[in-house]
Amino acid sequence: MNRTPSTQALTVDALVHYGPLANTRALIDDHFDQLVPHVSLVSELDQIRSCAPHTAVVLHQSLTHGVWAVESAMRLAWERAAACVVTPALPGIGESTAHLAQRLRTPVFVVDGDSAQCALDLAAAITNPDALRAKLLARCAVLFSERSGARAILGVINTEVPGVSAALVSGDGQVLAGRSTVARSGAGSRQVRVEVPGPDGQPWASLVAEVAGAGPLLDTVRTILRLACVPLAAAVTQQRLELVHNSARAGAALDVLLTDGSRRVAYSRDAPDDVASELGWQVDGRHIGVFLRVATSEAGPDVETLTPGVVSAWQREFGDRPLVPRSGGWASWWPAESRAAGDVSGELGLGLVRMRSPVGLVAGIGEPAEQLAGLRESLAQAELASAAAQGSTAGHVELFAELGERLVLACLPVAELARSAEVALADLLAASDHRTLVTTLAAVLDHGGSTGQAAAQLGVHRNTVLGRLERIRAHGIDVDRPDRRLALHLAAYALATRAP
Amino acid sequence: MNGDARVPEIGPDDVDALVAGSEFFGASIAGSSVENFRTWTREVLERRGPVPLVEPGELDADTPCAAVGIAGSMTAIVELPPAGDEPATVLTALQNQLGRAVGAVMPMNAATINALFPVLAAAELGLPVVDCDGMGRILPLINQTSYALAGLPLTPLTATSAVRDLVSIDASAPRAELLIRAMLNTAGGWMLCALYPTEARNLVTAAIPGSMSRVVRVGRLLTGATDHDGIVLGLRETANATVLGSGRVVELGPSGKRGAPTQPANPTTVVVREERADSRLIRLEAQNELLLAVIDGVLATAVPDLLCLLDRNSLRMKGLERVGLGDEVDVLAVPAAPVWHSPAGLELAGPAAFGLPVRHPKERDG
Repeated sequence: MNRTPSTQALTVDALVHYGPLANTRALIDDHFDQLVPHVSLVSELDQIRSCAPHTAVVLHQSLTHGVWAVESAMRLAWERAAACVVTPALPGIGESTAHLAQRLRTPVFVVDGDSAQCALDLAAAITNPDALRAKLLARCAVLFSERSGARAILGVINTEVPGVSAALVSGDGQVLAGRSTVARSGAGSRQVRVEVPGPDGQPWASLVAEVAGAGPLLDTVRTILRLACVPLAAAVTQQRLELVHNSARAGAALDVLLTDGSRRVAYSRDAPDDVASELGWQVDGRHIGVFLRVATSEAGPDVETLTPGVVSAWQREFGDRPLVPRSGGWASWWPAESRAAGDVSGELGLGLVRMRSPVGLVAGIGEPAEQLAGLRESLAQAELASAAAQGSTAGHVELFAELGERLVLACLPVAELARSAEVALADLLAASDHRTLVTTLAAVLDHGGSTGQAAAQLGVHRNTVLGRLERIRAHGIDVDRPDRRLALHLAAYALATRAP
Repeated sequence: MNGDARVPEIGPDDVDALVAGSEFFGASIAGSSVENFRTWTREVLERRGPVPLVEPGELDADTPCAAVGIAGSMTAIVELPPAGDEPATVLTALQNQLGRAVGAVMPMNAATINALFPVLAAAELGLPVVDCDGMGRILPLINQTSYALAGLPLTPLTATSAVRDLVSIDASAPRAELLIRAMLNTAGGWMLCALYPTEARNLVTAAIPGSMSRVVRVGRLLTGATDHDGIVLGLRETANATVLGSGRVVELGPSGKRGAPTQPANPTTVVVREERADSRLIRLEAQNELLLAVIDGVLATAVPDLLCLLDRNSLRMKGLERVGLGDEVDVLAVPAAPVWHSPAGLELAGPAAFGLPVRHPKERDG
């Protein structure tokens, strides 16, 4: 006799969710993962002794002389490795019987109606499991059509599909929605994975389902996941569209806020307070301006393209704090009633490192300022400071207050200057040790021509610096001509600052 | 203590032990108010003198004997107590019916107040009590006796009630049971019967021997012992009692839908949960009497074996009507007399006789 049930068989869980056991009362909620290939209606306790393993044992009305008979049947069912016991309702079935069911690890279901009818229904379901699975698919399809968000759609799978845990997992393994345990599950668990397309049609994430124990057929789960893909993709697209729309709206609103009163009339009749309150922005009181930029100064995707990903990542990390796209990056402002720019810097830097942004970001922070006029000033300072941060590693934060005269350098178009310098100093840059020579040239100019201080900064002997200056002069560069010194200093600065 | 020591007579000083022992064997109603009966029995024995307790074989073989016992409700008899002359009246009526004098009285069952009535009747008429009974415990029907099993006729039967009805029945044992049951309502809930008229020689094989002595011995143990372990050990020696388990009563209430049509009670259940790591569940199924003990779904013992509850705190037997949620109890099992484990005995007083579709462990295990 083959004692291993077919994997085509339904589980107790499936029968509870979509089968005849849905109309019964379960004494315990555990041990529902067993397959049920057989059902047996018994009118005498001894009949249980001949039941095959994994049988759903249904007690006939005539057997229920007392709770003792139900408990005796439970015990015999346990000895026969039955999948579950179904009993007619009768007075006295309560906590103690549930306690015994828990100890025997045997699910017990109480049916108010005719247990014989329940046995017939169970037999019909067990004989034709595909019908029950079709019912499950139909139910999921209906619920998917009624849900709009990724979490709600994952919720349908996790609550409606018996024995299955599902999650939406990004390409780098981050769980975006659903059960985080799915991503951590080890080898041995049965997983079904379906790619979810993004708005551009490319795979954007994976829908992963883990089938616990001997769950329903993997094919059924795969079909359900595919059914979920369409509403999930739609939900993602909708979310992106909303982000783009909201960002554009926020950008326009910030334009209004940052325009001073005399000029605003020409552009908009909206009052700043109305604009801010409509978007839920707090602009009264004391604030600190924050400005984000892409960390690298090299050319890459523009702000408009990056905005949905950056704003989405920002919201995950910083919640409702505003983030508004501007021409060179993204503006934000934080309340500063009880903290200084330095405190904001620490929190912002950590957040930027943690943020799962599509590009690395750096930030600049302005000075704390009062009211809308102050905020305009603080944001302008933050934008300047962020320019100084550009070129550093992601997460770097510059404070306007600490920049001083370096602020001027921050405003230089370093990349363009570097390209000019490459032409002007082509002879020097052709040298095999041009990096060393450029660094030395910059150090000497930084120290006003002092070779001793330049040597100390570079960590070499003064004679080495003198030797390098000789080689620099040999390339036709006269470091001593006052009329060329500023241009030469800028060229050396641009070449040294530019990313290698 | 000698577990088989015979008690030669029952005097006023034995009444407390007699009452306590009779409570043990009538476990379902242990703790009910029997003070009137205790006082009454002591008064009669003080007035009439001790009653000799004789074995069936000690009597002349031809000695006419008859059983005396109450049919009906214990609650009813407490609420509507006898006037005092019923034992003599009912036995005299039977003598008149038989046309001859009775030479000894035997108990129908030596449990609860039915252990007292034969003593009262014998004392009033100056007769000995035969040291035996027909049940070895309490069973609900008057035909559920070893006398009936042995083929002794239950009738002629005479019965009297609280309102001094006096009836006589001549019928088969099952019919007599039905007739008495039918009369009980009208009679006030109980009737004192004189029944199973026979000769002493028949009791040698038809009776459960030594029952009255056992009741007194158990009673002396229960009234004398002061510690729990002493009681449990003593009950093992005197009544072969074993502890099925100990725990706290966690559930009380109805069980199932209705009792067997022939039974005068509906099923109830008592659940005792052991307070050990594995926390076994002992479910006791009852219909007036405790009929089954099912431990974690396995039948541990069943009627006609006796099940009773010993309150671990008060060291008193706890009747079904007295048990409460949270009581800490020992569940004790006392094997029935061997005659009850015969096929005929189990048919008459085994689980099936109470409508329970389960085989007694003795029957199941062969």
